Amino acid sequence: MDLVDLISEKRFLGQEFLTWLWFKSDMAGGAIHTTKGDIGFVFEKHMLLEMGEGESHEKVICQGLQAELNEARTGLRMGKKLEQARIHMVQDEYEWHMTLKGSLLEFRSMKTPKTMAGSEEGDDEAAIEGRILDKIGLLETAYRTIDELLMQFIKLRISDHWPTELSQLQKWIQQT
Amino acid sequence: MGLLTASSTFVRYKVEGTLPDNFMDFADSQIKRFTFRDIDDTYDEFSIGWVSVLNMFDAEFQYASFSAGDYICLTMRVDERKVAPKILKKFCLKEEERIKKDRQIPKLNRHQKLEIKENMQLMLMKRAVPLPATYDLVWSLADNSLLFFTTNQKAQTFLEDFFKETFGMLLMLQVPYNIAESLLDHEEQQQLAHLTPTIFV
Repeated sequence: MDLVDLISEKRFLGQEFLTWLWFKSDMAGGAIHTTKGDIGFVFEKHMLLEMGEGESHEKVICQGLQAELNEARTGLRMGKKLEQARIHMVQDEYEWHMTLKGSLLEFRSMKTPKTMAGSEEGDDEAAIEGRILDKIGLLETAYRTIDELLMQFIKLRISDHWPTELSQLQKWIQQT
Repeated sequence: MGLLTASSTFVRYKVEGTLPDNFMDFADSQIKRFTFRDIDDTYDEFSIGWVSVLNMFDAEFQYASFSAGDYICLTMRVDERKVAPKILKKFCLKEEERIKKDRQIPKLNRHQKLEIKENMQLMLMKRAVPLPATYDLVWSLADNSLLFFTTNQKAQTFLEDFFKETFGMLLMLQVPYNIAESLLDHEEQQQLAHLTPTIFV
């Protein structure tokens, strides 16, 4: 299958993943378990939900406080899935803010933790290389965490445990 | 929205192919070969090339090396001369009017109009200032992955072609399906291939 077909046919996978992430985070009060321990994972402010394809394609954009997002929750009950969400991730003392686009797993407007004050940043070659490597490390931590969560979801999705998980997810959608 | 800006937007690629022996020498010569060439003082319509991630005018990598640890960090700079369709239309109509008046004819034929359009396009293109656009990338040599700092599809196509031209290696955009596929064993890959959408309500 070429990439264009792959993106179109398997678009649902990333959207289901993002919806499942919201469910897991909401159920655990804004935390998700990873191999590095529990990390803070809160859906906030901005969400885009989608449903259907072609002429029957519908989408809704919701903005609000993290505890609310009532329209987004209504969208879920109408059968829509999460296509894009703003996420606040906390790991140890570091915090990231990012917008994740589900179908393509694009990372948008990612703000990484500030690891040094502007005044401490030098201009010599070693300092510049250090700054570059520091930023790459922070970006890698974020996308590797998302990859790990994606693997958790996929392993569950193809396992015999999926019907139980799905039933809990459906219950959550109805209750929210 | 690049590598060193306060807020970063990126997509991920897998680099397909084997790194040549003495890769850093190879990378050095290829990056220099495909470095950005300025078109401000020419009439070229398009230029694409590599510059430093710190400075779009640094095609010699004097401000920062393209290599940082196990990573290659580059900025792909694309300069393009463009003529806005409305401006082209205005100049074509103006020229058509001038010729009709000059030759005292009521209208021009299709061939004449086309010729005017080509001439106007050429004249306006020469007067247009090239518009620069820059897109950062980080290539991890340790795991052959690459971050490209834009979601612009036209820029992604430019990168895929230009990266192949420079390094002779292919880039494969990473989406949830192929990221998952690369981390699963054979049996799990088969199960993944047969998944269909779930209804959540």
